[in-house]
Amino acid sequence: MAEEVRAEMVANVWKVVVTAGDTVADGDTLVILESMKMEIPVLAESAGTVQELRVNEGDVVQEGDVIAVIG
Amino acid sequence: MTLLETGVTIVRPRGAADPRDPWMRLAGLFDDGALRPLASQSGIGVVTAVGRIEGGEAVAFASDAAVQGGALGQEGCTAIVAAYDVALRQGLPIIGIWHSGGARLAEGVASLDGVGQVFAAMTLASGRVPQVSVVLGPAAGGAAYGPALTDVVILGPHGRVFVTGPDVVRSVTGEEVDMLRLGGPEPHGRRSGVVHLVADTDVDALARARDTVALLSHPGHLDDVADRNFDDLMPESARRAYDVKPVVNRLLDRPGLELHARWAPNIVTTLGRLGGRSVGVLANNPLRLGGCLDATSAEKAARFVRMCDAFGIPLVVLVDVPGYLPGVGQEWDGVVRRGAKLLHAFAEAVVPRVTLITRKAYGGAYIAMNSRSLGATRVLAWPGAEVAVMGSVAAVRVLHRRRLAEATDAARPALEAELATEHEQLAGGLDRAVSLGVVDEVIDRDRTRSALAAALRSAGVGPASRGRHGNIPL
Repeated sequence: MAEEVRAEMVANVWKVVVTAGDTVADGDTLVILESMKMEIPVLAESAGTVQELRVNEGDVVQEGDVIAVIG
Repeated sequence: MTLLETGVTIVRPRGAADPRDPWMRLAGLFDDGALRPLASQSGIGVVTAVGRIEGGEAVAFASDAAVQGGALGQEGCTAIVAAYDVALRQGLPIIGIWHSGGARLAEGVASLDGVGQVFAAMTLASGRVPQVSVVLGPAAGGAAYGPALTDVVILGPHGRVFVTGPDVVRSVTGEEVDMLRLGGPEPHGRRSGVVHLVADTDVDALARARDTVALLSHPGHLDDVADRNFDDLMPESARRAYDVKPVVNRLLDRPGLELHARWAPNIVTTLGRLGGRSVGVLANNPLRLGGCLDATSAEKAARFVRMCDAFGIPLVVLVDVPGYLPGVGQEWDGVVRRGAKLLHAFAEAVVPRVTLITRKAYGGAYIAMNSRSLGATRVLAWPGAEVAVMGSVAAVRVLHRRRLAEATDAARPALEAELATEHEQLAGGLDRAVSLGVVDEVIDRDRTRSALAAALRSAGVGPASRGRHGNIPL
């Protein structure tokens, strides 16, 4: 089942670590957000393939925005 | 003479009876499965008993799922209230095992009156003896609020907690929903905060209840501790987020019992032992929401502080907090009202409470995380930690807004950095916090465990230091 990884808070997308099609394990870093003067990694919560990556570096994400879909 | 030595034969339930049998469930809770029933009535839908947990006596009751689905009638409720009387008189922890449809319909208002008396007994016992609930089946209506009034709620894999079941929801609102989605591990472990611990099996649920009771009622004595190294758990960049849970677990003698692990995960609340002594650890988790405090995490932390204070469990507070989470959502969520609970909880706590600032403590969140001003027993900091109203770059952007605006785009970053360094020397920095007395001591990371233990020891960890208040489920 596909898992949507969402932003927990408003943030800038500082670095995109994976690309669509990559295989990821539970706990792998997908992107690194920048918020509250902190670099906050967004982690995969299940193993699978990155089916979609919906953000680019420099984007601003709002709370609840989908960052990636892991399936 | 203790309750177990009154000459009454100890019952040892045996055989492969129905696993839902309340005696079997109580036996799974107590040492060696040995227990003594407190009441002899049968068919009242509730059984009550006394036994031992890790050597110490404890009272427990269980609803009997085989009798009217565990529904609570007047007699069953009276038995629970009687068990509470025993626990309070003897100062024993009390554990409830729930599998109940709520108040007995057939008894009408009499059963409601009984359930209300159980709630009253639980509230009177709150903060005086530890109360733990284990929900192993559906716990609806009154059976939902029973656990909710207690200190720690543990949910087994078949546990479902809700006020109104799927049928009522469907008939009233037309919404199609099952028991799992209404009140299973996902909603209560992650969204509502009703459940402190989610267990994979019934056996595991009872084992966690034993662990909880042991930590809350057998605090132990503080012995010498061996130091450990934390360097590999901390990122090199001060800006990089990391998971604080391994830090908490390395701080403790062995990995602790994390309560509310998936609810408000930006703050970690863990019971464990340091030098053999029960302690409660609170820690900001930078991995979640950057470690910001928000309305929900402040409430979670406040309840944990008050529970530990009520039972004389000293607190260790690990601080790495960038501030309160800003935004309209938070303000409307009551971050002011709910955040105030944490200030109140720390400021009224009489139990020894030691703060360790690991990286940074900014602004109002600095105050809320057991600062000196709220009465911290001792405040320690790791080298390089920052204590400030806000980060230095953010501060100079406010203080020197005009000067920065006048600078050329090319010159601005360098000016900003220069002003920030100057600001740190003038206004902030660890040295100033130490000279003001809001930080007592800067300690090397690899002295952490011994320094925390020494701070608790000098505060006099004893039965006298215990808050006199209930543990309202904030």
